Amino acid sequence: MLITENLTRNFLMATTVQENKILILATESCAYPGADSVGQAHSSYPANTYILRVRAPVMFPERFYLDCFKKGISGIIIMSCGEECPYEGAYHAMAKRIDRVYQMMKKLDIDIRRLRITAICTVCNRPFLKEVNMMNDIVQELGPPVLKESQPPVTEQEPA
Amino acid sequence: MTDPKKMKKNKEKSEKIGVYICYCGGNISDHVDVEKVREAAEKFPGVAVARTNSFMCSDPGQELIIEDLKNGVVDRVVVASCAPSLHENTFRSAITRAGANPYIYDHANIREQVSWVLHGDKATYKAEKLVAAATGKAGLLEPLDPIRVNARKHATVIGGGIAGLKAARVLADRGLEVVLIEKTPFLGGNAAGLDTVAPLGEQCSALIAELAKGVLEHTAITVLTRSEVVGFNGYVGNYNLQVKTTLSSSSAFDKAAGHVVPFEGDNADTPTEQNVKTGAVVLATGFRSYQPKTGEYGFDDHREVLTLPEFIKQLSEVNCSGDILELNGRKIRAMAVIHCVGSRQIPGIHEEDENGYLNEYCSRTCCSSILHAANTVKEQFPKTNIYDLYRDIRTYGRGQEELYDRAARNRVVFLRFEAGNSPTVSANDDGSDYALKVTIEDGLTFSEEIEVPVDLVVLATGMEAGDVSDLVSMMKLPVGTDKFLQEVHPKLAPVEMSVSGIFLAGTAQAPMNISEACNGAAAAAVKTASLLSKGYLELDPYVAAVDQDLCRGTGACVDACLADGALEMIDAETENGTEKKARVVPALCLGCGACVAVCPTGAIDLKGWSLKQYEAMVDMIVADELIDI
Ligand SMILES: Cc1cc2nc3c(=O)[nH]c(=O)nc-3n(C[C@H](O)[C@H](O)[C@H](O)COP(=O)(O)OP(=O)(O)OC[C@H]3O[C@@H](n4cnc5c(N)ncnc54)[C@H](O)[C@@H]3O)c2cc1C
Ligand code: SF4
Ligand code: SF4
Repeated sequence: MLITENLTRNFLMATTVQENKILILATESCAYPGADSVGQAHSSYPANTYILRVRAPVMFPERFYLDCFKKGISGIIIMSCGEECPYEGAYHAMAKRIDRVYQMMKKLDIDIRRLRITAICTVCNRPFLKEVNMMNDIVQELGPPVLKESQPPVTEQEPA
Repeated sequence: MTDPKKMKKNKEKSEKIGVYICYCGGNISDHVDVEKVREAAEKFPGVAVARTNSFMCSDPGQELIIEDLKNGVVDRVVVASCAPSLHENTFRSAITRAGANPYIYDHANIREQVSWVLHGDKATYKAEKLVAAATGKAGLLEPLDPIRVNARKHATVIGGGIAGLKAARVLADRGLEVVLIEKTPFLGGNAAGLDTVAPLGEQCSALIAELAKGVLEHTAITVLTRSEVVGFNGYVGNYNLQVKTTLSSSSAFDKAAGHVVPFEGDNADTPTEQNVKTGAVVLATGFRSYQPKTGEYGFDDHREVLTLPEFIKQLSEVNCSGDILELNGRKIRAMAVIHCVGSRQIPGIHEEDENGYLNEYCSRTCCSSILHAANTVKEQFPKTNIYDLYRDIRTYGRGQEELYDRAARNRVVFLRFEAGNSPTVSANDDGSDYALKVTIEDGLTFSEEIEVPVDLVVLATGMEAGDVSDLVSMMKLPVGTDKFLQEVHPKLAPVEMSVSGIFLAGTAQAPMNISEACNGAAAAAVKTASLLSKGYLELDPYVAAVDQDLCRGTGACVDACLADGALEMIDAETENGTEKKARVVPALCLGCGACVAVCPTGAIDLKGWSLKQYEAMVDMIVADELIDI
């Protein structure tokens, strides 16, 4: 009974595909191996999470985050190394940038809870799961972002 | 690379991406419909072929990629399999073997981040998305050349215990110059206090003397005792260590019987500091013995309660005949040994230390060591009764189980307790002249409560991580939840650390016995030697690059750059005359991308991890219509 229900729900979700997508920018030296360690422990977490391996999230300009929301990403979690960042000064510079992104999000009426910055280490399984579940609750509550000014996203990708 | 035409050409998207999806022998295919992912991938933009294999990392799996590259079917490669940390290098070298550039490859992690955390349709959908994202990036990948840096054929070993001595000797035998840094005046470390050792009963002092001789006599090894690393910078192949040698004389340290003192009497009249230029570092900083808390099994409350190292020391000094052991003039008619003291602690059962820590791991050496000690006693003093109170007997490895059999034959009496119901040690009040009483609910006799009067209790104390917090913060070393230094991967990269050019030897990494510490040390030394032996290293070319056409010379990147000297403004001759342009100094660039975020024209980007590639990945993730469900 439960199985059939799940299958139907999965199928519906897969066909309607309006998934509330969460983008996770995970540092290659801390958070990305951290996510792998969650996998090694076979702990499940929401499926709508897409983890991109990054060297340091400091490389992303303000517009990258806004573009993601415009493209339909519902939530973004930056999982950095925090104070353990191998690039001295990078964390600080990134944190300042994210403050500016929050200001811009407010102007565009994007709920700032959609963007979170957190530190995840290589063995931080519990904090990883907590962050992901928390963001999932938020995006389930908010749904995909609707932008005030409906600029088209800067997509180069054409459907096949 | 700086030829603008060439850059433009390279930026054209590849239309010949090959996608190779792994079953991982069921690890992936039990949860992800791999063939469905392949069908979907065939329709992604730019994809020429999509193939599957039971084990992509196997030779036949790699051969698929090599054949397609050789036949010109593909010019970009996406592998969808386990975490990239495991096999990125495998696939890069397969691509190189096919005669292609190893940087034309990207990876989709569909095991650790999909099949191991999700089941059913959701897993297949997510795998498709991750493969789609990887093809988005792969289409924009350019061939890159690794950065070549000179590497010093010189290695530094920190710690002069068994592992450090072994590592130093193996390194020197491989043709490297070696500096061995030991903070005490002695060589041999913790093993120097062990007298004879399990499983074979060799004299440990002889083992140490032999290892130390091999080190001290080798002309390529410089031994610095009473020395510590106080400064650290540089990068793999070219590290600089600031090493301080202090005045403190040997008497400031506890010398154990088995220690070797290389420079006795030489108390270096002035503290000195020197710079050691080295290519790589082997960490052999060892462990520290667990010190029981006051009252833990009567420790500190009763002088008849000893730790295992204390007992081993006293036993080695015994000079009595007869069939009953005598320690410090006291006859030991009966003694109890208790296993797992300070090891295998369980949340909710054992008391945390002041920082909320528990030693949840097994110390791996105490079972063998305490049974070896018990046999030593019983075989010399058969009338001394020994009660062995254990949770589990973990005498793993060759020749070790025999210690248990021998103890049983020697009439050691075994009693078993549960973690949540530890035995107690108290003053004996039964009127006899035994000092102590041990009480246990014995699992081997249906939890019968047994009281044993004894003259001595020995606690099989385990190992804790040594305090190397200064090295950890200086070198940015990863530490496990058990506080020991952590390797990259317990199976696939067992002596490597995530900091390139730093290796692990011996118990700095985890509890291990002497054989295992020597194995680890030899492995670390050979890894180090093979890293440095060419005299140069090839580093990943993930550095910033400026598109001169787009650069308007604002200098924003230079202000944002985190590395001194990695970015500079130059006067460039262009068709508009002399213009200011940014230029990257690749050897100094960290590849962090701080510059990428601030460039107003997008002229600067990171090679191999470009912003444009990330944008393409996001596009593929949101492009639902691409996915054929
Ligand atoms: C009670 C007990 C009994 C044991 N019995 C046996 C046995 O019977 N058989 C067996 O095979 N194994 C036994 N072992 C295990 C054995 O002791 C270890 O495997 C071995 O000592 C590990 O050697 P190591 O070089 O890794 O570490 P260590 O012996 O701890 O050596 C580390 C060295 O590094 C130095 N050092 C630390 N930090 C620094 C720093 N920052 N700078 C410079 N130098 C530094 C230390 O001074 C020390 O000399 C036993 C262990 C214990 C605790
Ligand atoms: S080796 Fe034996 S005594 Fe030591 S922690 Fe493991 S089980 Fe306990
Ligand atoms: S990538 Fe980092 S270190 Fe390199 S030039 Fe840019 S800011 Fe400087």
